[in-house]
Amino acid sequence: MADIYTQQWYEEVKNAINNKVAGMKKLPEGTWQIAIEIVGDGVSPYVLQGQERHFLASIDQGTCLWYKEIDDDTEQQDQKIKLDYRFRGNASKFDEIAAGIMDPIDAALGGEIKVKGDMRFLLRQADQVQALLEAYSNDVSTDWPKGKPPY
Amino acid sequence: MSKVYEYDAVVIGAGHNGLCLAAYLGRAGLKTVVVERRHEEGGGVNTEEPVLPGFRHNLHAQYMEFFDVMPMIQDFKLEDLGLRTIMPEAQAGITFKDGRPPIVIHRPDLLELTHKSIARYSKQDADMYVELKKRAMSIETLLAVNLYTPPVESGTVDQGEMTEAFFGDLGVTKNFVMKSPKAVIDELFETSELRALLYRATVEWGFPVDTACTGAAFLTFIMWTMGNWKLVKGGTHSLAKAMTQACYANGVDLLESSPVEKILLEGKRAVGVQLKDGSIIKANKLVASNADLKQTLLKMVGEENLSDTWRKRSKAFRYGPSHVLGTLAYCLYEAPDYKSAKHDPYINKCFYTMVGFEDEHDTIAYIRDAYDDRLPKPAAGTWVNSLWDSTQAPANRHSATGWYFLPKAGALSQQEWEEVRRTYNAEFYKVWGQYALNMTQANVIAEKIYTPDQMEKKNMMMEGDFSNGEFAPDQMGANRPFPEASQYRTEIEGLYLCGPSAYPGGGVHAACGTNAYKVISKDFDLMDSIVPSRGY
Amino acid sequence: MITQYDVIIIGAGHNGLTLGAYLARSGLSVVVLEARHEEGGGLSTEELTYPGFLHNVHANYHTFVDLAPPVSDLKIREHGVQYVKPEVQMASIYPDNTALVVYDDIEKTAASFARFSQKDAETFLRLYKEAHGYVDLLLGTLMFEPPMSVKELTKALSVFKVGNRSQFLSVKLRKETINQFLDEHFENSKIKAHLAFHGAVCGYGNNIEGLAIGFPLLVGKINNWHLSIGGSHRLAHALWRDLANHGGVLITDARVDGIVVENKKAVGVKLQDGTELKANKCVVSTVSVEQTFLEFIDRKKSDDDLLEPEFVNKVQNEILHQSWSLFSVHLAMSQAPNYIAAEFEPDVNKAWVVNLGYDSLEALNDDWDVIAKNGLPDPRPNVAVNSLYDPTDAPDGCYTGLIRQFAPYEIGSDGPAAWDEISGIYGQKCIDAWAKFAPNLKDEAILKWATYSPHDITAKLPNMVRGDWMMGQITLSNMLDQRPTSELGGYRTPIKDLYMAGSTQHPHGFITFGPAYNALSVIAEDLGIERWWREV
Repeated sequence: MADIYTQQWYEEVKNAINNKVAGMKKLPEGTWQIAIEIVGDGVSPYVLQGQERHFLASIDQGTCLWYKEIDDDTEQQDQKIKLDYRFRGNASKFDEIAAGIMDPIDAALGGEIKVKGDMRFLLRQADQVQALLEAYSNDVSTDWPKGKPPY
Repeated sequence: MSKVYEYDAVVIGAGHNGLCLAAYLGRAGLKTVVVERRHEEGGGVNTEEPVLPGFRHNLHAQYMEFFDVMPMIQDFKLEDLGLRTIMPEAQAGITFKDGRPPIVIHRPDLLELTHKSIARYSKQDADMYVELKKRAMSIETLLAVNLYTPPVESGTVDQGEMTEAFFGDLGVTKNFVMKSPKAVIDELFETSELRALLYRATVEWGFPVDTACTGAAFLTFIMWTMGNWKLVKGGTHSLAKAMTQACYANGVDLLESSPVEKILLEGKRAVGVQLKDGSIIKANKLVASNADLKQTLLKMVGEENLSDTWRKRSKAFRYGPSHVLGTLAYCLYEAPDYKSAKHDPYINKCFYTMVGFEDEHDTIAYIRDAYDDRLPKPAAGTWVNSLWDSTQAPANRHSATGWYFLPKAGALSQQEWEEVRRTYNAEFYKVWGQYALNMTQANVIAEKIYTPDQMEKKNMMMEGDFSNGEFAPDQMGANRPFPEASQYRTEIEGLYLCGPSAYPGGGVHAACGTNAYKVISKDFDLMDSIVPSRGY
Repeated sequence: MITQYDVIIIGAGHNGLTLGAYLARSGLSVVVLEARHEEGGGLSTEELTYPGFLHNVHANYHTFVDLAPPVSDLKIREHGVQYVKPEVQMASIYPDNTALVVYDDIEKTAASFARFSQKDAETFLRLYKEAHGYVDLLLGTLMFEPPMSVKELTKALSVFKVGNRSQFLSVKLRKETINQFLDEHFENSKIKAHLAFHGAVCGYGNNIEGLAIGFPLLVGKINNWHLSIGGSHRLAHALWRDLANHGGVLITDARVDGIVVENKKAVGVKLQDGTELKANKCVVSTVSVEQTFLEFIDRKKSDDDLLEPEFVNKVQNEILHQSWSLFSVHLAMSQAPNYIAAEFEPDVNKAWVVNLGYDSLEALNDDWDVIAKNGLPDPRPNVAVNSLYDPTDAPDGCYTGLIRQFAPYEIGSDGPAAWDEISGIYGQKCIDAWAKFAPNLKDEAILKWATYSPHDITAKLPNMVRGDWMMGQITLSNMLDQRPTSELGGYRTPIKDLYMAGSTQHPHGFITFGPAYNALSVIAEDLGIERWWREV
């Protein structure tokens, strides 16, 4: 088991996603760049209040190629890599999703995780999106170094 | 909601002079903003649908006589920015109740038609008019240079000598410059009907007919501009649109609904303006005001910041009674069909038609009534722009606009103006019906009148005076607004005048803005706006 | 005049200007042609009563300010637009002079609801919070992307099990009216009337099947109404400025005679004055479907099979327009309304918008029935006093008022022209209806008023066919990719290089920027323009 937000943890997320989509038909064409911005909210011990951690993922034909944390903020990355989606929210919400106690769709519908990008694609690929989210929230066993949400 | 902005140059007022100056400043690389009190740019260059949707009326400026010489139109290619014009063949006419022949002044390229029309009354007058017009047109460049150059101090040129040199063979002598325009007209023309037309034209296009020492202007300025009128397609406001667009294209910003409360000073230097909402606009280089003299100096700068001389002279500056107008706006089924058209159908297709003036006595009485704060019996100069520009009214309808000469805004009480708005159009329209039989009540879909007190409220044209200052020898040329201020500079360093309180005055020539730029460009070492081939 | 551009856009409403500005910023040469003398279309602010009183003739409420990408992409606020979000947004006053108030603060709103029903207040709060959560997500997707089909949306909703997640959203809403939705969730008749009225003001008829699907989103934005300081027209100026700052050109008074089609491709536009403009890349229409395909495309001259007969038939007979329009009275007032209901709820006197007189869904339904039969209901208008929140829209100490009343386009069997006769009488009735709730609005409190009827709407803005300010009815069959027809739903048209980008398109009328922004995506894709504007 990996600590949350470590490289090893992300490898596991990547593998979980790829295992999930391996069995699916009708995978979407093209490569998608996704940014995830986790904002410290004073609740989660993993991202301190006032800090942000940014991650980038690259999805090609439905398969996750890589998933990495980046140092500079994603605004700068945006110049180099054209982003297709940006997910942004408080760390405790992301933690809760990873722990499987918060539904990611509810989080997005409730406005707790802000999603930017062409939502039509996400809606049209609802099946695959559902699979990705399940992998993220249920298929990775996480070691919670400082305790598990809800804190 | 108050904010702080910073610019190189702040222009107060988005009238056409302010827009003109701002465009030149922007082109010269100055970060420039125009702050406008109203929600709409253009000041007197205004077109609205004040009566019914689809019927357009120009509430202030009507005809454009300077477009061929106006530098801004050329320098900023305003035609590429949507400015289009129409120049009707028949330009100005007067029509009569009994259906006797009208007099119709045509375009300068159709002088033979003008001659034919005047000759119905007097061959002598026709010859004289045509000759004077030719002379005036031959010195057009000179007149344009004069217009688009800051005024030369009086006394430098002997106007009498010059006038006699140009017009001497027509019986004009040196002393004509001492005469009133009326005296000049009366001496040169014998026909009462023509005198009537010329009196009104002279007042409207420049000079009070009864004021002594302005007679030479009739020979030059009035004869030059007579019959040179264009109508702006879509309405006069299209000029403001094109000018604003030129500003935008040169990076100039426009802030609407932003009345200026005061001009900010540091010592004796203008450093910005403060808006009514408390916002501050810093001006690193200059502030220029398109507002009238008194508002600019007495209100925005403040009396306490002026020297004795400047305070006294500003206070003594006079508004009206010249150039105080009321605008009528009629929505019509049919354009007027005049009785006089049986002699000359051109009167029905005339850009500007005087209605309600039978002879010189009628006309002079009318003018004097308005000047002496009496409500004249209704008569007007009228336009039916939809005859040439179908977009100015719905299909098969017409939009008629006209000007009344009215007393100054302050001459009548609020209730009296309300009464004028209630009754005056209806009175006029009874008169109109005597000249054109189809101008019955059934032909009028709806109408409105726009009075001097409303002009004051809408555009801050004090007293309803569209020239922002009386035209009289002591307030003209290098005396406008007063000698010390005639070069657009004020005693406050960095504060300039660019509106019609400065030379040459009211009218859509943009000369106040153009000339202010000439002075400012020297003071700040900016790009020269003079085009050598043009001469100014 | 320049006669060749990359892109020609017909119509300078907010959609035409927005699209033009984006394309100009993308480096294309762009001209926006406007038939009127003034840009802005529904963004029209005029001094209809007296100088200094700014009346928003059409659009008054701006509800997408913080959601629409153009507001930031085109730097609308830097161009001088200032929005305020009134703290007391809206109120309903009922016949018994009780009142319900919607505040900027939603908890206070719920407290106001609770005076009528604690249960409904709680339901409202749940609905608001839920809807407010997904308002960004769904509205962003539904309004600012080219539309998906209802089928695709329904499928996504079911895969994401939205029905299970939400108390209010479900697939079955597409078979329900807003009335049914309200009856299902709310108990108090006055609260239901208020919410239904709110929907109707937004163009969502409460008795139209299927519109319940959009209702939660409307509630999610119920406290998001913004007012443009200095009038709605200010936004038009800002958009125009952005266009012109980037080299685009607006030409007013440019009436389109036809779209030039060669080899089944749109290659230019011919104006009524004979000017031909060539479009290197494309022509975009933001006016009505009827104007575009019946007036501007000369089907006789073009290839026989340019437009399929089935499509032409649809355009001729099947374009859906709102079955009701709006009658307005614009008022210059010396007093703000002082409502009897202020005894019950003092904050009604501070409300920007007030709905007067509907206390049940039945009352609203009854009026729809009257209007459907081309009758005039006894006025139960909504009224707005912008001056309560905009100090610049009236002279000091005065107020600018607006009455809006649901009304038919035609009256009885007399057609729309009957409005011209009856406007004054009905206007007075509307004022009386207001004064019944605010008795101080009588005599000297109302300085002047002017009516603006459904007939006037179309006379002024012919793209609003049959007084349809929504430019196409909001119904389930006229939504998303089916609006205004299946052929045109994707902003492309049966003619290559001709696009539709006005309010006829998804999402709909109002100041949403949506049609232009979404058409931009499609045009960018076709022309290979890099999307600098899509900040993700």
